[in-house]
Order: sequence, then C-alpha cells, then structure tokens
Amino acid sequence: MYTLLIVQLAVSGALMGMVYALIAYGFQLTFATSKSINFGQGELVMLSAFFSLTLIDSGLPYWLVVPGGMLFGAVLGLFVERAAVRLSLEQKGEGWILLTIILGLLGFSAAENIWGRDDRPFPTPISSDPLHFFGIDVTPLELSVAIGVLAVMGLVELFKRKTLLGKAFEAVSADRDAAQLMGISATRTIQLSYGLSGLVAALAGILVAPITTVGPTMASVLILKAFSVAVVAGLDSGFGIVLVGLFLGALESLTSFYLGSGWREAPGLVLLILALAVRPNGVFGKASIRKV
Amino acid sequence: MWKRLLLIRGAELAALALLAAIPLMVDNSYVLGLLTLLAIYGILLIGLDVTVGYLGQVNLAQAAFLGLGAYAAGLCVANFDFGMLAALAAALVVGLIFGTLLAFPALRLEGPQFALATLSFSALSATTLNEWEGLTLGAQGLQVSRPPFLGMALDAPEFFWLCLLLLALVWMAMRNLLSSQWGRAFEALRDSPIATDAMGVGTYRHKVAGFALASGLGGLAGGLYAFNFQYLQPQSFGWDLMVILLLGVVLGGRKSLWGALVGASLIALLPNLLSNRGLFQIFSAIGLLIALAAGGQGLLKKTTRPFQALAPVAAMGILMVGSLIVGNTEDWRKAIFALMLFSVVVGLPEGLMGFAARFLTRLFHIEPPRLPAPASLDTVLPKRTANGGALLELRGLERYFGGVKAVDGVSMTVQAGEIHGLIGPNGSGKSTAVNVISGLYVPTGGDMLLRGKLLPVGSLFKVARTGVARTFQNLQLFGELSALDNVMVALKDVYRSPLPLVLLGLARAEEKRARAAALALLELVGLGDQARSLAKDLTYGDQRFLEIARALARKPELLILDEPAAGLAHPDVNKLMDIIKRIHERGISIILIEHHMDVISELCGVVTVLDGGKIIAAGTAEQVKRDPKVIEAYLGVVDDPAGAAAPAQAG
Repeated sequence: MYTLLIVQLAVSGALMGMVYALIAYGFQLTFATSKSINFGQGELVMLSAFFSLTLIDSGLPYWLVVPGGMLFGAVLGLFVERAAVRLSLEQKGEGWILLTIILGLLGFSAAENIWGRDDRPFPTPISSDPLHFFGIDVTPLELSVAIGVLAVMGLVELFKRKTLLGKAFEAVSADRDAAQLMGISATRTIQLSYGLSGLVAALAGILVAPITTVGPTMASVLILKAFSVAVVAGLDSGFGIVLVGLFLGALESLTSFYLGSGWREAPGLVLLILALAVRPNGVFGKASIRKV
Repeated sequence: MWKRLLLIRGAELAALALLAAIPLMVDNSYVLGLLTLLAIYGILLIGLDVTVGYLGQVNLAQAAFLGLGAYAAGLCVANFDFGMLAALAAALVVGLIFGTLLAFPALRLEGPQFALATLSFSALSATTLNEWEGLTLGAQGLQVSRPPFLGMALDAPEFFWLCLLLLALVWMAMRNLLSSQWGRAFEALRDSPIATDAMGVGTYRHKVAGFALASGLGGLAGGLYAFNFQYLQPQSFGWDLMVILLLGVVLGGRKSLWGALVGASLIALLPNLLSNRGLFQIFSAIGLLIALAAGGQGLLKKTTRPFQALAPVAAMGILMVGSLIVGNTEDWRKAIFALMLFSVVVGLPEGLMGFAARFLTRLFHIEPPRLPAPASLDTVLPKRTANGGALLELRGLERYFGGVKAVDGVSMTVQAGEIHGLIGPNGSGKSTAVNVISGLYVPTGGDMLLRGKLLPVGSLFKVARTGVARTFQNLQLFGELSALDNVMVALKDVYRSPLPLVLLGLARAEEKRARAAALALLELVGLGDQARSLAKDLTYGDQRFLEIARALARKPELLILDEPAAGLAHPDVNKLMDIIKRIHERGISIILIEHHMDVISELCGVVTVLDGGKIIAAGTAEQVKRDPKVIEAYLGVVDDPAGAAAPAQAG
C-alpha cells in the first residue's frame, strides 16, 4: 500500500513535470537562435492564462480559447523580443537579462491590476475524475497536459525539420553569422523563436491553469522549476528536458510528502545550482570549445 | 592635481557632514528613519555594485544576503546575547561565507547562468527562512531587540550615526580597493576572462573575492537592517526588494560610489514618492523631460539608435499618463519600478552619476590625475643574458578535436634568445599549438618542457605564472579599461600588499611604481601618449601593440605572438617589426606566428612549418622557402615549371 502511494505521488508529480519541460522548451527555442532567454517567461505564462480565462468568460468555446490564448502568448513573445532583447543583442551585451526581468515585472503588475490579486478557477471541459491504471489514479486532465506538451513539442520540431523557415531556424541556431551570410535574416529568425517561445508558454499556462488555478503568482514557482529543468538538462538538449521534467516533477512531489509542502521548491533549486557547478552545459548538453 | 583632490574629497566630506548634521537640526523621527535606511541601503548597494558594475554580472542574490545577515544578527542577539558590534560582525561573516559558497559553483558561469544561480540561491534562502520555523519562527516573523553598543544603549539618532560611520568606512575601504589592482582585476575579468587568466591574474580568486565581498556587505547591511526595524519577516527579502535594489544601482550609476549613494537615497524615498500623488506627477514629468532631452540629443548627434531614444520616451510617457489617470499609484508600484528601470537601462545606461560625473568634470575643469614619469626600461624589463640552451621543448605534442587531429605529433625546440617563426597555411594547427602551450587546451598527448621542467597543462593561469606570456590573434583586450590599466593589471612582481593594507589605503606606493613601470612598457610599443584612452577606443593597430605591451608586463622569458601583423597596414607592420626587435634585444625569446613572409624572413633565425598538424619543414627562412613540401602546402601540387609560375603571376 505504501509503495503504491509513493508510486502514485511520483506519477502525479511527473505529469506536472511535463509542464516544466514545456516552459523549459520555450527557453530552448530562444536560446538556440540568440543565446538569450526570457527571464520574464513566467509572467508570459500567467498573462496568457488570464487572457484565456477572459476568453472563456466571454463565452468562447474551449477549442477556440486554446488557439486564441496561444496567439496572445506569441504576440507577447514578439513584444519581449522587440522591447527587451533586440537592442542588447545588437550591442552584443547582456542587457537582455535585466530588461526581460523588467518586462516580467511590468506584466505582473498589469495582471494584478487588470485581473486582481486573487486566484481564480479555470474551467475546462476535460474531466478530472480519476482513471485507474494498476491501482494508480490518473485524471484525464493530467493526461491532457502530457499529451498537449508532447504534441506541441513534436509539431515545433517537425516544423524545424520539414519547412524552409524551420531550416532557416536551424541554420541560425548552428551559426548565426554563417546563416546571415547565406541571406537568412538572423533578426527575423530570432523574432520567430521568441514568437514560438511565447506560444509554447501560453499553451503551458492554459494546460496547467485548471490544476493550479489562475492568479498573478501562479507562475512564479513554475518558472523556477522550468529554469531548473532547462539548466539541468542543458539549454541545447532537445528532448532531454522531458526526461528531466518528469524526474524533477516526481522528485518534488516526494519531497513535499516527506519534508512538507514548504520545501517542495528546494530540490529543483539545489539541482540547478549543482548542475551549474558540475555540468554547466547540462546533463544532455554538449560541451563547447573555448575559442580565441 | 590639488584641485581635483580638494573637490572630490571635499564633496565627500561635505555630504558626510550634511547627513550627520541633519538629526541635530531636525527633530523628526520619520526623517531620521529615512536617513538610517539611506545609510543601510548605501552599504548594500556599494556591495551590489561590485558584482553588477565591476564584475558585470546580474546578481539577483543581494536581497537574500541582506536577509541572511539580518537573521544572523537578530538570532545572535536573541540566542547568544551578542553585543551590537559582535552581532554586526556575525552578519558580515555570514554574508561572506554564503557568498563564498555560492561563488564557487557560480564561478565558471557567465551572464544568464550566473543570474540563474543567484536567483535559485535567493529562492532557496527564502524557502529556508520560511520553513525552518524552529530557528526563524517562519512567516510569523522574528522580533529583534537592539543590543547595546559597547555597553551603551543606542537611541535612534545614535544608531543612525553608527550606520553613517559604517557607510563612511565602507566607502573609504571600497574606494581604496576598487582603485587598486583588485578593482582592475574585477573589470578585467568582466571584459575578458580568458585574457585575465592568460595574464596570470587569476579569474578564480578575484571572482570569488568580489562576490564574497559584495555578499559580506549585504550581510553587514542586513545586520543594521535588523537593528533598525527590530522585526524581520522572510518575505521582506524577496523578489520585490531585489528589483528595487537593481533599480538603485542602475539608476544611480554603475561603478560609482556616489552612484550607490544616489541610488540608495532614491530607493529610500521611493515609497513616499508613490504615496504622494502630486509629487509623483512632478517626478514622472521630470522623467519624461529627461527622456525627451536625452533622446532628442542622442538622435540629433546620432549617438544613439532610434529605439534607444524612443523607448524611454514611450515608457516615461506611459508613466506620466498613468500618474494622471490611475486611481491608486501604490497598486501599480511594480509597474512604476519597471517603467523607470526600463528607461534607465535603455536610455541612460551609465546612470545618473555617470552622466553627472562627466558634466561636473567639464564644469570644474577637473584634470585627471597626473601620470608619473615612466620608469627606466632596464628596471621594468631587465636585460636577460641569452645563455643558449633549450628553452621550450615540445615532444610529440597532440591535440585532437573529435576526429580532427589539429596538432598531430609536433616536436620542436625553441632555443633561448631566438625568434622562432611558426608558419603554415590556414588550419595547419599553429593557433591550436599555441593554445595548448599557453594552457587554454589540454593536450591529447605529448610533453611540453620549459627549461627542462614540465609545463603545467590546461591552465592559462598556471602557464602564465611560469614565465610564458602570449598575445591573442583575435584581440582579447580589456576594452573598458584604459591602455595604462590594461598593462598595469598584468604587471608581475609589483603588487605585494595584503588585502587589509589595500583596504586601508596603504598600498599607494606600489600603485605608483606600477604606473611608472606600465608607462615604460607603453612607450616601448609607442603608446606613451595614449595611456588614458580606453582600449576599445584605440585604433586597430594600436590595440595590437597594446596586447604586446600587456604581455610584456608579465616580464616573460618566452613571448608568444599569435599573428601580431594580421590586418595591420604597411606602416604599422614596419613599426611592429621594430617593436619585436627591441623586445628581442632585451633577451626575451619569441615564438612568432605569422603569414607575412617578409616579416618572418627579416626577424626569425629559425622557422618551423606546420601543415595538417604536422611539421613539414624546419630551418632558416631561406631554407624553408625553397622546400618543395612547403611550396606544395601553400600553392598545391606543382606538376611542371610552367604551372608553378602561374600562381605567382596571378598573385
């Protein structure tokens, strides 16, 4: 019975971990093209969830809310690129770290004032009545998260491999200067990556909102764990983040069981610092050669 | 000279006296509270500026260190009955220890990874303060009583004077430190960690020291914070405060003690600003005007990009409109911080003090401190007597990258006192060989001996300390440092004073010696009149010469010049040859990697030719020039005499 409880906790945690993986995937997309990430990505997740909630409240059916919310996320991603990232990349500086943090703060404040500081439920047509597999309960809601995450990651990867635009994306990721000499606009491609990253973040928000409820702070812990997943797996690790996401999700679920829910963020944070100390390129990342 | 000292020190003293006198003139506990907070924030921001300004890293842990210091001081008083000084010392030490612990993993990290490491640390420390209820009482909060100071109970004004005294001490110590070799090393490793190591300065200990110091000051400020508010809650030291602190440093101006003070005053006053609507409207109007003026000027002079000029105007415009229509400005405080920070980061990257300092220097005609007379070259680079014999010996050196054999079994000997040419077509492994010798890469196989002793492998820093210095093909100068500082930071055998003496300002003599020595080296490469120019502002040719002067500051036995003539115009090439000859006259052995055959022919007694990672020829310049294998490597296979002539004509 006890073992079963542990397995149950691990499985539920791992399914939540898929969301961290999805947000971390958003970091990978922009890191690949521009070596930058949006430190305000959590606010993007939260704003998109709030926007989708507004769409639901206005009576739109769920299957229209999802693309609507994702589009909103993509627009926000483009805004972040324009306002916070492009200038510092042109100056070859790291100002984007501070600037994306700042935009996140702005988004947070806007959400507080537009939608209020309270957590609100996010209605969904997907049932949360548990299904039983070998004595373990899994809700369709949790499954929808996993399926949605894998589906969108698969689609983006297909896009990168099969379309011309996607190949440009890969070219800029491999070597920005060379790609530019071949007539690919790096700026456009980086823009695209931020748009996609916002889209992915919005989907993460929509998928996780029914479980966590929607509020200005809904993503502040999510984002720390997404950072952990991205760094532990490596910012260029591809599908490695899914494995790390599953692992971290399970780990924190067990931590919260054994040490109390206040400590649930701790393993991710410790892992992140350890990973940076021991393997700065991540478990699945490639080590880079220093050139002079 | 005296005018400069008088004005700068005078301004510092005046500010200190003014702040100290306010409690005597105004009997108002509210004002006193603000002033105390200002002093505490001042210490905190001076610390934060070490990482954000000098080390150039986004540090998101300073608020956490404030919290750790505050709890350390509070708990020491509650549990161990510490006095004020002991508790403050404990807070400082806690900051130093945790800072060092965090610096070790964060050490190899740059930019985003460093920010993430500090972010995680803050979140972790917040979790711990919240959850370890047995010690900290968690979210319920901790009452702290203000302990006696050397047996005296301190009232609010006395406590303020204590804070101010500490701020003044920190200020003086940091001024001494940051204008010493330490400060230069911090900035050097921000601009180029690789070159910092290659100049034997050591990124490792300076980064740890810088970060630990910043954290220690955070802890000290935390101790004062605890005794000021006498009530602590974990959430006071969270993300909100961190953003405000960054606002303080960036708005005040990075790399400036005055900037930290201005920033501290601003963030201490911020809550008032937000609660008073009229004041806030005036403030945002001023902000908008500054953004318009700065942006307009930048656009007219074409010094800024349109985005840089327009974005702050837009942000300040939103702030202005918002101040008129929003119901309660306090609800929007985060957005207001965000808009202000955004405008400053984009439009005024040097901050208020950076801007003001330039303006004031012009207004008062303050001249930069005069430079001493250059030292004699014989004391800086004593002539070595070339006693012959093997200096550097490579035995079967190999370096593979995956399947690529970049250096594939190279054996060669550099005799003491010679200029040894190393040539070969592009991709022949010259630069890789140099990178292995200088410690950037670990060799895959083979031995390297310097004067018969094994050379350290895989550490630029250790190799630099053995007496091998190098320049870089792709310039690795410390761009934000002056030419003089670039050389000074690399100087060997000059800085001997221990850290405490430096902090007390008792290391000025060696600083003066270093300056004279560095000037001598600058004159050797013909940059004596450019000593104050920032390295990034020098012409390309001068930058190459500065690299050489900096390498010479290591007083090397062996100097490796990696394509020093690459991209140089013809007059500069002649100048370069002249410089190399002069260096050689001082008895320094040189490995010269070059493509210009005429440079090689004129300078090098011995030439080694690499191709495909292997040595294909060695001898005098004339010998290798005629070697068929060398001709083949450069021009391709030659079948008949007619074909051999064709490329020469085309070229």
